[in-house]
Amino acid sequence: MASRPTSPPGLGGAIPRFSWPVSLALLVILGLTGWSAYGVGFDLVELLSGGGAVERFVSEMFPPDLSAATLRATGVGILETFQMSFLGALIGAIVAFPLAALGTREAPTVGMSSVERLLAAIPYHVARFVLNVFRSVPDILWALVFVVALGLGPFPGMLALAVHSAGVLGKLYSETLETVPSRPVEALRATGATELQAFLFGRLPQAMSGFASLTLYQWECNIRSATILGFVGAGGIGQQILISMNLFDYPKVATLVGATIVVVLLVDRFSAAVRRRLMS
Amino acid sequence: MGQRLVLDGVGVRFGDAAALEGVTLSVKPGEKLAVIGASGAGKSTLFRTLTRSVALGSGSVTVGGRNLYALSWRELGATRRRVGTIHQAYNLVPELSAGMNAALGEVGGLGRLATLRTLLLGPDAGLSRRVEGALQQVGLGERVRARTADLSGGQQQRVAVARLLVQRPGLILADEPFAAVDPVTAERVMAALLDLNREGATLLVNLHDVAAARTFPRIVALREGRIAFDGEPKDLTDEMLAGIYEGDEKRVQHEEEKLGSRRREPMRVAEGRDGVSAH
Ligand SMILES: Nc1ncnc2c1ncn2[C@@H]1O[C@H](COP(=O)(O)OP(=O)(O)OP(=O)(O)O)[C@@H](O)[C@H]1O
Ligand SMILES: [Mg+2]
Repeated sequence: MASRPTSPPGLGGAIPRFSWPVSLALLVILGLTGWSAYGVGFDLVELLSGGGAVERFVSEMFPPDLSAATLRATGVGILETFQMSFLGALIGAIVAFPLAALGTREAPTVGMSSVERLLAAIPYHVARFVLNVFRSVPDILWALVFVVALGLGPFPGMLALAVHSAGVLGKLYSETLETVPSRPVEALRATGATELQAFLFGRLPQAMSGFASLTLYQWECNIRSATILGFVGAGGIGQQILISMNLFDYPKVATLVGATIVVVLLVDRFSAAVRRRLMS
Repeated sequence: MGQRLVLDGVGVRFGDAAALEGVTLSVKPGEKLAVIGASGAGKSTLFRTLTRSVALGSGSVTVGGRNLYALSWRELGATRRRVGTIHQAYNLVPELSAGMNAALGEVGGLGRLATLRTLLLGPDAGLSRRVEGALQQVGLGERVRARTADLSGGQQQRVAVARLLVQRPGLILADEPFAAVDPVTAERVMAALLDLNREGATLLVNLHDVAAARTFPRIVALREGRIAFDGEPKDLTDEMLAGIYEGDEKRVQHEEEKLGSRRREPMRVAEGRDGVSAH
């Protein structure tokens, strides 16, 4: 056991050596690749010969429809998308905050009885469960649910974004809260601060800039999501795109899609710039 | 002001490694003592038992005649409020202003409404005045509103001292308070701690510098979780020290470096408006 003459002394590289677990993992990945390619009917020939249809579709989009009516419809669609994504992120953040605070695991206080420990764990698990449900259902499914319940329009779309955002932000917020340096928090607790005081004055201030940056990023994601929520009738520019597609009005589709790309890119740039400033 | 501390056969385990074992120690109110020991000897753990921040495996800790580990939450909060801690670094909230950090010395005493008020609007007038006074005393009067993260390590350490001054604790636990600061700041911080001690607070300082520890009337040395020495500095021989620090290579190096740097640059005298008011 002590002497293994075959293995030369050394630290080895950054990539794991060829060992049983590694070979097994490689085999599994290869198998999954083949099986999935078969399942989706992966076909390079089809991909390359599909070029003609795409060409036709694209050429029919040009020139884009720049009539006043279309531009107005585009403007309305963009504004609606923007409003949905903004409110969705804001309401999501407001709902996420208390859930994240409850869903953050604190080091158990020394001397707690097991019953107290159990009681303290209940809000944690409830909050985590709610956040998981909010987050793991995709926003487009939430949109379907709300459209069925409330009818067509941007309002159900906004609600869908809010619920999904709350789930995502809640999880990210609580992760931020948990990874914040805990020594200042412990120092507060050791000088007699209550749990709530240690959280408010020790943990929260350290997480704030992280929260702001995460919320901005979520807003960015919401803008992208909001453009497709219209496909299930939940308002925004997607609804206009769908209608024009169904009417084979490709020049109008071109204008709508072009405008969407521009807005998404702009918001992306803006939020990236703000987040960079927040981080420094 | 201070309360009597009694540790009786205290043992603390992390997993199956003992951090403290059979530690028995009695500290009179208002006493000052230095704790020394190699890295990993259990010095920080010893301090943590005094605020019930770590679970006891055996023995008992008594503060002012009452078993610390049997107190209710409310009583524990009240007891902890009388304990001021200062660590080598990282015990301030970097995002808050220096003034707010100093004010946090009092936060345990605030009710719910006052807590919320302080969170949103800052400390009330009375507390603000005390905070400003304390920061002035450590030479940071103009930095009340500065973000703590923007202060230097030594300035941050002085903010931590200001927090102690605001808190006016009966027991001060200073865990290597000088490890990350320049010699001038170290001296100021020490002077402030000694001032608080003179006013009645019990002072326990965990030191890496044996020469500094020798200025204390009582030294407690830990070795592998057990008390290896407890007495006056004159009784602490070099052989005992060698035993206490045996196998701690890093420390020997550290000590040599320090000696070297001391010799190279003589300590500058602090000029003008700074420094803890020296008496
Ligand atoms: N939270 C913890 N979990 C596991 N082990 C711990 C923990 N805290 C301390 N220990 C262990 O307990 C022993 C004593 O640690 P302690 O921090 O009290 O040492 P120390 O004397 O303060 O050392 P240093 O001078 O390096 O600060 C060490 O072996 C350490 O690894
Ligand atoms: Mg330590």
